[in-house]
Amino acid sequence: MSNKKYWQSFGELNQTASFEESTKNEFKEELLPLADLDDKGILDAQTPRRDFLKYLGFSTAAAALAASCETPIRKAVPYLNRPDNIIPGVPNYYASTYINGGDAISVVVKQRDGRPIKIEGNELSTITNGGTNAQAQASVLDLYDNTRLRYPMQKDGSGFKEVTGFDAFDNMVGAAIAGKAVALLTSTVNSPSTLAIIEEFKVKYPTGRHIQYDAISYSGMIQANEACYGKKAIPSYHFDNAKVIVSLGADFLGTWISPTEFSNQYSKNRKISGEQPELSKHFQFESTMSLTGSNADDRYTHKPSETGAVAVAILNALNGAAASFSDTKLNEGIRLAATNLKSAAGNALVVCGSNDVNIQIVINAINEAIGANGKTINWAIRSNYKKGIDGDMVTLINDMNSGAIGAVLIHDVNPVYSYSDSKKFKDALAKVVSVSFNGTMDETTELCKYILPSHHWLESWGDAEPKTGYYSLLQPTINPLFKTRAWQTSLIKWSSAAGSMVNDYETYFKTYWNAKLGSTDLYNKALQDGVIEPSAILPITAGTFSNSKLTEAITAAASVQSGAVEIILYQKISIGNGSQANNPWLQELPDPITKVTWDNYAMISPAMALSLLNLDVMNQERGKQSDYEVHPEKPVIKITVNGKSVQLPVIVIPGMNAATIALAVGYGRESASKETTADNIGKSANGAGKNVYPLVSFNGTNSYSSVATVEKTDTKYPLAQTQVHGFTESRPVIYETNLKSFVANPESVLEEITKEKIAITIGGSKDFVKDATIYPDYDKPGIKWGMSIDLNTCTGCSACVVACTAENNVSVVGKMQVQRAHEMHWLRIDRYFTGDLENPDVVFQPMLCQHCDNAPCENVCPVAATNHSSEGLNQMTYNRCIGTRYCANNCPYKVRRFNWLDYTGADSFADNQNPMVGTYMDASVMQMNDDLTRMVLNPDVTVRSRGVIEKCSFCVQRLQETKLEAKKQQDPKLVRNVKVACMQACPTNAISFGNVNDKQSDIYKIRNVEQTHRAFYVMEQLHVLPNVSYLAKVRNTERHIGVEEETNAAV
Amino acid sequence: MSLLKYESQLREPLVDGNKNYHQITEDIIRPIEMKPSRLWYIGFFISIALLLFGVYSVYREVTYGIGQWNVNKTIGWGWDITNFVWWIGIGHAGTLISAILLLFRQGWRTGVNRAAEAMTIFAVMCAGQFPIWHMGRVWMAFFVLPYPNSRGPLWVNFNSPLLWDVFAVSTYFTVSLLFWYSGLIPDLATVRDRAKTKFRKMFYGIASFGWTGSTKHWQRHESLALVLAGLSTPLVLSVHTIVSFDFATSIVPGWHTTIFPPYFVAGAIFSGFAMVQTLLIIVRKVLHLQEYITVGHIEAMNKIIVLTGSIVACAYLTELFIAWYGQNPYEWYAFKENRANLFSPYGWSYYLMMFCNVLSPQLFWSSKLRRNITVTFFMSIIVNIGMWFERFVIIVTSVYRDYLPSSWSTYYSPSIWELGFYLGTFGLFFTCFFLFAKYFPVIAVAEIKAVLKTSGENYKVKMTDLEKADAEKFYIDEVAHAH
Repeated sequence: MSNKKYWQSFGELNQTASFEESTKNEFKEELLPLADLDDKGILDAQTPRRDFLKYLGFSTAAAALAASCETPIRKAVPYLNRPDNIIPGVPNYYASTYINGGDAISVVVKQRDGRPIKIEGNELSTITNGGTNAQAQASVLDLYDNTRLRYPMQKDGSGFKEVTGFDAFDNMVGAAIAGKAVALLTSTVNSPSTLAIIEEFKVKYPTGRHIQYDAISYSGMIQANEACYGKKAIPSYHFDNAKVIVSLGADFLGTWISPTEFSNQYSKNRKISGEQPELSKHFQFESTMSLTGSNADDRYTHKPSETGAVAVAILNALNGAAASFSDTKLNEGIRLAATNLKSAAGNALVVCGSNDVNIQIVINAINEAIGANGKTINWAIRSNYKKGIDGDMVTLINDMNSGAIGAVLIHDVNPVYSYSDSKKFKDALAKVVSVSFNGTMDETTELCKYILPSHHWLESWGDAEPKTGYYSLLQPTINPLFKTRAWQTSLIKWSSAAGSMVNDYETYFKTYWNAKLGSTDLYNKALQDGVIEPSAILPITAGTFSNSKLTEAITAAASVQSGAVEIILYQKISIGNGSQANNPWLQELPDPITKVTWDNYAMISPAMALSLLNLDVMNQERGKQSDYEVHPEKPVIKITVNGKSVQLPVIVIPGMNAATIALAVGYGRESASKETTADNIGKSANGAGKNVYPLVSFNGTNSYSSVATVEKTDTKYPLAQTQVHGFTESRPVIYETNLKSFVANPESVLEEITKEKIAITIGGSKDFVKDATIYPDYDKPGIKWGMSIDLNTCTGCSACVVACTAENNVSVVGKMQVQRAHEMHWLRIDRYFTGDLENPDVVFQPMLCQHCDNAPCENVCPVAATNHSSEGLNQMTYNRCIGTRYCANNCPYKVRRFNWLDYTGADSFADNQNPMVGTYMDASVMQMNDDLTRMVLNPDVTVRSRGVIEKCSFCVQRLQETKLEAKKQQDPKLVRNVKVACMQACPTNAISFGNVNDKQSDIYKIRNVEQTHRAFYVMEQLHVLPNVSYLAKVRNTERHIGVEEETNAAV
Repeated sequence: MSLLKYESQLREPLVDGNKNYHQITEDIIRPIEMKPSRLWYIGFFISIALLLFGVYSVYREVTYGIGQWNVNKTIGWGWDITNFVWWIGIGHAGTLISAILLLFRQGWRTGVNRAAEAMTIFAVMCAGQFPIWHMGRVWMAFFVLPYPNSRGPLWVNFNSPLLWDVFAVSTYFTVSLLFWYSGLIPDLATVRDRAKTKFRKMFYGIASFGWTGSTKHWQRHESLALVLAGLSTPLVLSVHTIVSFDFATSIVPGWHTTIFPPYFVAGAIFSGFAMVQTLLIIVRKVLHLQEYITVGHIEAMNKIIVLTGSIVACAYLTELFIAWYGQNPYEWYAFKENRANLFSPYGWSYYLMMFCNVLSPQLFWSSKLRRNITVTFFMSIIVNIGMWFERFVIIVTSVYRDYLPSSWSTYYSPSIWELGFYLGTFGLFFTCFFLFAKYFPVIAVAEIKAVLKTSGENYKVKMTDLEKADAEKFYIDEVAHAH
């Protein structure tokens, strides 16, 4: 090669400055001649020839925009004087407490622009450790419920008229109740300040009394404790100390006493890793398939009336006596449970869901015998969640009838709906002066003479003492939306002497706590924290046990009712006792066991389906099971108990006791006049299910099970299920094993998939990600988001589902649309049965967008509306989506959701919701679209319009917020603080999330260090490379666990 | 003298009835010039009614949402895409007849090609409705067009088979339309020339683009036909291949199958010919064209039906075998349980498809049945039903129970508005076809004249006369006179 230089000019040869300047500017483009535009007018401006097309394009586009595209005008009125603590767009968080009929969960309320929009668990609470449940998550929606009463009212003929001004109301009611024996009928009150107010009230009305009424009562337990320990209370339980847990029908992970607290405790012994290869052992004896039962290691079924006999048998088995039930599996279970309980040396706990005093006495005796009292049962700290005594209610009604009680003030209870003998209560109510503090026009309130609606808890000051010495404070997060008043204020006003200094609850509350805590600083700190807890953990103390009633109790408990069929009433984790029945988020939350929304139904066993309905869910050959599985219309049966009957559709659930029908309470809310139900109680509650409270019987305490007769009818009724097939079909969706196999060889659980992965890589390489494809692998530097879900600690409680709904403005679609499989949940809980059909194992698997690195949805979208971010997120661009639904077809996990109708009112076409209501859409969808309810929407998340696909975004708004914070603080470590909504809500910390490229992150450690033997991806063989890993389930049982035992049936 | 008269017995004539050119023109053009029959009005109004119902169904769907349909979170595509593939498939016979048979110089195509091509165009028009209106936001449908815009890097996704569809179907429609219309020009000119009213003259005058029938025109016309035939031929294969990619390139078990392209093409031709049969058997009867669309034509098409039907059968069995042999548990489940299991929810549709597409066409091995008009008509309906179910089986039975069992679907059957949309496309198709049959020559007049053995037939008559004639007289009259 020649080194000769050729030059064109002297300038080039000598590299003069002028030459360099000219080469630099050789292709210089004329800038827009803006300088010429100053004041000579645009018409005089020069237009370079080369830019003609640019100008033409611009002016055409501008003209078209100006002429045709109308931008809707939205008026935003800024603050005239901005409040100090509100920055538009920046959320504030306030500690408060979710309270609902004795339930209390410490929470942090996210408030945006003065509106509470999301409930998060308060991590400072040692009771819940930041956990929540579905009802607490959903309660923010109740605040914006359009059926909330807006002002004080008094009865006027058949209707009500507004009472203008609280003073007028006070005078009127004050006169009406003066000199009468006043009964306060409330739900369980565990607020210390309120209890103090009630005491003061009782001083003013000495002939009155305070009655606490729980729709689902724990009276049997409280009375049994009185008999055994001399304490009319419920102790606190320590599931975290229990290595062996035996539950007799107590749904402590779902609905029993304090499920959030217990789930959190329970999960501590359900986490398993290489370093801690231990699990608690959980036995469940029950009649229905409960959420707790579905999490049990070993589960046995019996008739509801056999509960006492089982308890007695366990007690006897502790002394070596063998049980003698006709069901040998049950006998074996009792033996096994007793052996385990004995060997646990006090680190064991027996709980029972029965409301029978005698059975609870036997349970106390068992706990005494195994040494649980003082180890897992703590009498130093009581549980104050439920205090109602069933007998008190009976006395009250009698006194109301006899005139011994002249006035009843009702707060937060609805006995006309939930009391078993509703008519008796109604008649009694008509005889007295009745005042309701309830927030909505429920069945009881509409029969009262005076109504003074109390605040929603998000508008209230207050406190709760769910456990002795553990306080949780409430502070309002929004000004009262309506003309409501704290019911405590009413009590103060009606009982205080004239001229009293304190005549409202807020002042009372502040004075009370300032005095109690000693200083304003401590008070403010307590408000900020939300919780006040003992500085030192008190030692667990045993109660003094007395067995004076035991012999009697054993005899009474051991008797078993004869009857071919028995019913058992239970609460669903969503609707509970029915107080939140008008909450569309809860109504649309699929029950984790049955996956049914918007209804209650009769849960029956496959055996009963066969004998009663000739419905053979096992028989695949005849097409019968297919019909049952694939059609939402289910046969209706008629159940009669003590002359009262109810007709409900059936749901066949394996694991139900063959002689038991389970019915959920909380449904069938109905005003006195059916037509007004939608307006008074609400559009969502209207028409959802049937009320089964009338089937409760009273026998000293309320009994939630009875002998029943059942017959089939010719009718069918559609149930809206979100999952119809309950078996994995041996597909690599779930991996499980038992503890023994896992401890012996941790690799065994994922052995099969590991081998298969190697088999399908090129050249048998171990690098499945790179070598199982012919396409190149790309580096994924920086942040790569990933999630891990522990199937061992996930109980299926569904708090995450509601949290996701609230965080991401997920639409409610109503029963009719769910029935057409059009539900919108971004996160769902898949439920699979495995093993014995009569008593299967159940696995819950939270399923959400897996954010696949090799996502099949992405390449099929014709308009690239879904794509991959550099942080590993599978993104959905709503305003690019044209709705071909190809991505949804191609998603192996079926997590993509299409906006089939205008669920949000955000459609491009105006008013096209109303024409659909009644034919394709339920009125409950409209409930979510009124101006009041829309205040719950999260402004950080787009409300999707009709016709687009949506799906889990990994709460990208939270990711962005955390990253921004980390950037502002110049500290990348802060990214580890990120918490997505489902993870935050989880009471058992089953969900971990973070940057998988960060070796210090939890997610990295779980996948690569701690849980390498359990971490798997769902259907990994497809090589879609999901970013959500699951940890295989390990059960502490002797039974063989695994998919090969699976039986096919439709459930 | 009989030596002068050689006649092949192998081929039957393509046109019966000793037609001469004038007669052909009369037979085919006359219906255009007459008032339509009562039957035409009845048929036309039924079609219009169906079309209006379809328009209303689509109006509801676009205004209020696809939530009125029964497709769901698992079955994203149901009747909509089934109907799309079915209509697209039907179109294929027209293109095959006009293009491939032209290149292969199959004279018999002239009797049926015009109607078949019209059918293609109308079928593609019907097909196109589905992918457009099944979109959630059809008003944003223009996003699928790769036009220069101001959205920066956001463009169409060339990886998506749906985008390939956009190109494939629009190309197909354009080429088919051009082909059909260019073939029509000489005939439209004939209609124009015969027109008596001013409006007719003007309408057909404009429509025939100033055709004069000059040699130059004919030469260009022929060349254009050849070029378009050359362009159309690959389209016959490519369009349905690309449609099959919608499924084949996905990961849904039962869709993800490499055999789909040839299988879809064969199926398309199969169903297309069945549809041609259905239409032409009616047309020849109603417009009295039995002499132009002869039993010979019908038999020829039945032969194609039995051929393509057997290819399809072969594909079905191959697919089933490979599903088993391939040992992919998901795919095997889709075939074994979702389809071949008669007791599964959709088992019946698989067996219905097998019966209609595999068993029933085998009847056509018998030449007697092949030439029986009633049997053919009945069979053509059966095949169309079968081919509709083939698409239904592929689309719905694959996706309703795919990977994750938790998401397996409930039973899917269409809602009234899904059904209405489908019926509406029938309305569109037949409305177009009725208008076509009324206002355009349903047989290619110019082309059929080219295959008419006029000279042969006339020669035969002349020779017979000659043989009978007196030789002396013949000599005097003809030969001497000539001198």
